[in-house]
Amino acid sequence: MANAANNKHLGKDFLPPDVIAKVTGEAKYAEDFRADGMVFARLLSSPYPHARVRSIDLSEAEKVPGYVGVLLPEDVNNPAPPESPLLTMEPGYIGSAILLLAAESETAAQDAIDKVRIDYEPLPFHLDPLVSLRPDGPDAHTGGNVGGAGVELQTIKWTNEDFANAPAGAMPMGKAAQEWTYGDLDAGFAQAKLIIDTPFVHASNSHHSMEPRTAMAYWQNGKCILHVSSQSQSFILPAVAGMIGIPPSDLVIIAEFCGGGFGSKGAAYTLQALPALLSKKLNRPVMMRISRAEEYYHGAARMGFQGQVKLGFAEDGRLLAADLYIIQENGAYASFPDFRNAADGLSLMYQPAAMRWRGLPVFANSPWRTAQRGPGYNQIMHIMEPLLDQAARELNIDRLQIRLKNSPERKGVFGSRRTAVTSCYVREALERGAQIFNWEEKLRLHGQRNGSKITSVAVGQAFHPAGFTGFDGLVRILPTGKVHIHTGVGNLGTFSHSSTSRIAAEVLKVDWDDCVIERGDSRRHLPWNIGQFGSNTNFTMARTNFVAATDAVNKLKAIAARRLGGNAEQYDVDGKRVFRRGSPGTGLTYAQAAQLAIQYGGSFDGHELPEDINAMTKESAAALAGTGLIGVAKDTLPVDGAPSAFAVGFVQIELDLETGKHTIVDYVGVADCGTVIHPAGLETQIKSGAVQGFSVAALERIVYDPQIGLPASIGYYQAKPATYGDVAHRFHTSAVDSPDPSSPLGTKGIGEPLLGCAASALLCAISEAVGGHVFNRTPIVPDMILNHLHGRPQAHGPLQVNCQ
Amino acid sequence: MLKDMMPHFDLYQPDTVDAAVTLVKQLGGDGWVVAGGQDSFDWLKNRVKRTPAVVDISGIAELRGVTDNNGGVTIGALTTLAEIEAHPLIRERFGLLATAAGRVASPQIRNVGTLGGNLLQDTRCWYYRGGMDCYRAGGNMCYADTPQGQNREHAVFGASRCVAVTPSDTANALVALEASFVLRGASGERIVPAADFFVGPAVDIRRMNALREGELLVAVNIPATWAGAEFYFEKVADRAAWDFALVSIAMALRTEGGTIRDARVVCGAVACTPLRLTAVEQALSGGARDAATADRVAPLASRGAQPLGFNGFKIPLMENLVRRAVRGGQA
Amino acid sequence: MAESIDAQAEARRLSRREFIKRVIASGAVASSASFVMGGMAGCAPRTRAALAGAAERLISIDVNGELRRVDVLPQETLAMTLRYKLGLTGTKLSCDRAECGACTVMIDGVTHYSCSTLTHMVRNRKVVTIEGLRGADGALHPVQQAFVDELAPQCGFCTPGQVVAAVALLQRNPNPTREEARQAMAGNLCRCGAYDSYLNAIMRATGNTGEIHHG
Repeated sequence: MANAANNKHLGKDFLPPDVIAKVTGEAKYAEDFRADGMVFARLLSSPYPHARVRSIDLSEAEKVPGYVGVLLPEDVNNPAPPESPLLTMEPGYIGSAILLLAAESETAAQDAIDKVRIDYEPLPFHLDPLVSLRPDGPDAHTGGNVGGAGVELQTIKWTNEDFANAPAGAMPMGKAAQEWTYGDLDAGFAQAKLIIDTPFVHASNSHHSMEPRTAMAYWQNGKCILHVSSQSQSFILPAVAGMIGIPPSDLVIIAEFCGGGFGSKGAAYTLQALPALLSKKLNRPVMMRISRAEEYYHGAARMGFQGQVKLGFAEDGRLLAADLYIIQENGAYASFPDFRNAADGLSLMYQPAAMRWRGLPVFANSPWRTAQRGPGYNQIMHIMEPLLDQAARELNIDRLQIRLKNSPERKGVFGSRRTAVTSCYVREALERGAQIFNWEEKLRLHGQRNGSKITSVAVGQAFHPAGFTGFDGLVRILPTGKVHIHTGVGNLGTFSHSSTSRIAAEVLKVDWDDCVIERGDSRRHLPWNIGQFGSNTNFTMARTNFVAATDAVNKLKAIAARRLGGNAEQYDVDGKRVFRRGSPGTGLTYAQAAQLAIQYGGSFDGHELPEDINAMTKESAAALAGTGLIGVAKDTLPVDGAPSAFAVGFVQIELDLETGKHTIVDYVGVADCGTVIHPAGLETQIKSGAVQGFSVAALERIVYDPQIGLPASIGYYQAKPATYGDVAHRFHTSAVDSPDPSSPLGTKGIGEPLLGCAASALLCAISEAVGGHVFNRTPIVPDMILNHLHGRPQAHGPLQVNCQ
Repeated sequence: MLKDMMPHFDLYQPDTVDAAVTLVKQLGGDGWVVAGGQDSFDWLKNRVKRTPAVVDISGIAELRGVTDNNGGVTIGALTTLAEIEAHPLIRERFGLLATAAGRVASPQIRNVGTLGGNLLQDTRCWYYRGGMDCYRAGGNMCYADTPQGQNREHAVFGASRCVAVTPSDTANALVALEASFVLRGASGERIVPAADFFVGPAVDIRRMNALREGELLVAVNIPATWAGAEFYFEKVADRAAWDFALVSIAMALRTEGGTIRDARVVCGAVACTPLRLTAVEQALSGGARDAATADRVAPLASRGAQPLGFNGFKIPLMENLVRRAVRGGQA
Repeated sequence: MAESIDAQAEARRLSRREFIKRVIASGAVASSASFVMGGMAGCAPRTRAALAGAAERLISIDVNGELRRVDVLPQETLAMTLRYKLGLTGTKLSCDRAECGACTVMIDGVTHYSCSTLTHMVRNRKVVTIEGLRGADGALHPVQQAFVDELAPQCGFCTPGQVVAAVALLQRNPNPTREEARQAMAGNLCRCGAYDSYLNAIMRATGNTGEIHHG
């Protein structure tokens, strides 16, 4: 199946069904829906970075004309700390939601919010994990300063000796919350020709999805109808129902379009439940429009890192030993295991013979952090790749060669458990990229001056494992002959809800015009599926659609055998027909077979369902029973190892030494994503992933005043995501296109490392332009470059965060 | 907290300057004058500043347009930045202003943003914009000038309690071009030179210009003095679009037989007002416009600068921009 | 917010540095939550119906070639009128601060951020939104078709604004270079990062196939 030439759909471009609605404005996002009698709700956000709410006085607010009602912390069931509360009496950052107030107009709602009087008791706060780790340091919330991301909520304070023992500029390294080791670390360092030991900072950056996470809810016949902004469709439903306090079967989620999420709208989040709860309380539809500032407060951010890494290289550039300590800034609530992922990323990409990792997730009084495109795996590449260049420089090795030297081969292993990846073609990707980029030729341009500008070229790599299994597929052949592919994956804008649905079309050998994708609204009877995140769609959904379509094919054959004689194995499918092998005239059209499926009933038309499918899939399939031939199955296909995507990027820049500003002249991105199923979609992802990478590497920032806890980077112009003029002027894209053996169709993910390789390449290029690795942090911004070139001290401390 | 809904205000839309002046007088301090509104609406949506009434002057046709004025130009205050960027007379005589106008924010902003609005916009100090009760907001504090204040964008010159900087790109060009501003109030018209129009915190900590309550900026006069001179404008910002200068430079220069006869050099985003670099100007006089002169005068640019914790980079950046301006040509 | 008032009063007695030290020590923050700009005399609304020039609420605006009668509050932005009163939800709100371009519409053929335009400012002017671009027969506008052909949109939220900005550009300059298009589109943010695809689509719409970048 891997060879695209033999495929009907895979590896070929197509018109995704949702693209026209996007260019006409007909695509409906959560804020585009209306309901009769709809009221408008606004959040009241904490002005304090950490406080206790002593009392809430609504008396003046209630007098505002148009006031309708309010949802208070006492009205909601908050999860146990450190999970994000829905509404809180202990706000953990400036912007924490305390209450939700509804009025007949949004202006009236805001006017009433302004009249709510809250008595706050300010509590100690901080915006630097290292401050919280001091013996007398403040805790971001009262339950403890460390936890989340699989680590129990607890208090960890380092000793004064821990701080005093750290050499100047180095990170103090007290007690960790988690750690692992493999190999003989001491021996590795002892053998090393070159040791690099450096602190580092990876800044946090907000997701800043263009669509603020507006939600609108109303109740109808006991069911809650909820319009949300979500990367995921089926996946979030049980958790959102749980927050609302209703069974999943009483919740309808409509999320046909999602205006960007980048990880921040993958799982269920608290703002999805609030309008539903207020709507229930008021018995009115509630529109909760989220502003840009609120999207900053509730739209999450990538985990920031402070750390120290010690690397031992052999003379030939081989990485012998790595010792990594990462402190992760969690934000105020439970977060994501970026700090663990980072260790896996280092261990896989460079295959060190010995490695130790220590990690500590620390809460800070900043908004919720969660996965952002390549959580942890990308941050560590942004730190490591410039260090690899430094090693290459000191060992006098070509920068491409040192990467090839340490490259994981086919079955690279990673982490303390030495898990193997299912496939790895990063070497091929590097070689392909070097050829397209013309690495040898470009190296001759490297370092050339043109007036105040210097040319610099560099290469970066990244990796991301993905590979959830065990979800369900659901397809349906109607008596009209049309194939309906039910997908609950979500719509992040990658078109992979459709490109993976085409796998069902491929298996059923039907034309795309004969397929209808059912998605975007849980009333369309959707199966239990993974969300659209973590590079899982192409892998996980390929499998679910494969098993469901295979089930449908088997049923087609069984129906044909029952009707036309013989046994099922003697039948084949093609051209919307099931027919006897060797006797193509003996057969049924799909339309006829679907009609017969209804006649035969049982498992053929969904009246009997497999035992092992999820309750949601069962309910959906049961609702469809009797409408046609139902193909439904759980993905129980084997998987051997961790399916992993790789990507490499080559970049050529000009850095103006007088202004600190760079121009990206040329960029080459190469993906190792298994079988390419949608070339146009992949090209877009390679380019746009790089755009986000350039943005993370050298533009985007999160700034706080640590004295008052106030954020500076709320809006776009302050947070500085890349504009049209800040990205590469020329992009080239390519893919290795080698199938992954663990997927029946050779697919695996790709989204995340496309960001990381580009960011790494740009960070390397800037560093190399100014004489090597001098900025042990991201982002690298013009003021840092100017300070360095003019011999001025950097304004930030070596481990300072949330600054500049 | 930053809000998102403009509160109610009464809206007035006069269509003549006289009507507008009368209205503003009648409203006393309660009338907020809006032209393009690209700065004003932010304040009002955030509910950090409020007003009972808005006077929308965008429909006053007589305040729009560019006319010849004895070899100089007169520009109506409501002329948009896009019109200025494209206007043949301005491009021919005062390309410096056309270039500066073209570097403001984004095409949509330039389509609606007026020259007057660009000159009168409020500072972008993020503490002040965030609603903190700082000196400029009538309080008793400067949050930016504190031990850990985040002041990368703030002033290195002219601080006086407040360390905010001018956000305007066109103001620097107009100071270099020795423009003057025509202000009209109920009691008549007065003309203020650009150099006096912009005021720092030592003069008035609440306002960034000399406009008095009840006055409208109606026009900008650029004299013929620098028409057709050699110009240089550059704005260094983090992003290519929709960003404010980290430092910008506007220079007008006359040479005679390869020798610099006279120069005006103005830096933006380093002080509360456009900062004329008079020491640089004087040192340029009589020199050749070349790299040697550039290197010689550049250090004078930052003389007297007093950096805060995070904005020391503005010192070399100012010097480098002076270098580039003097060298001329491609940046 | 008794806390903040006390803090401010105390601040007047202390030097700034001392105050900051105290802020740090106590964890208190001078709140901005209920802060009203001082010096804006008389914040209480007053009735001034008698003053000349006051805007009428019931107005007609020309949207996509149709004259629409609509009741508009004085402070109402065009984006809100379009979205909540005229049902034209293709115009998106993302920043509501004139920074991102998701709300871009044409007014008299020129792009504006509708989130930062008062509806009362567009009386007697022609507004064109994303919904006004399709041909009379429902066919996609050539720019929309090019966006589809290049698979330019990703999440799609910025796309209506991108399309309107591109249409406005091509009306003004039917043959922009790729670099000119980049400059002209600079006021439209795409967080997905699809800039190169959008530029390809614009080059396709102009027929300038030599500047379409693939591979």
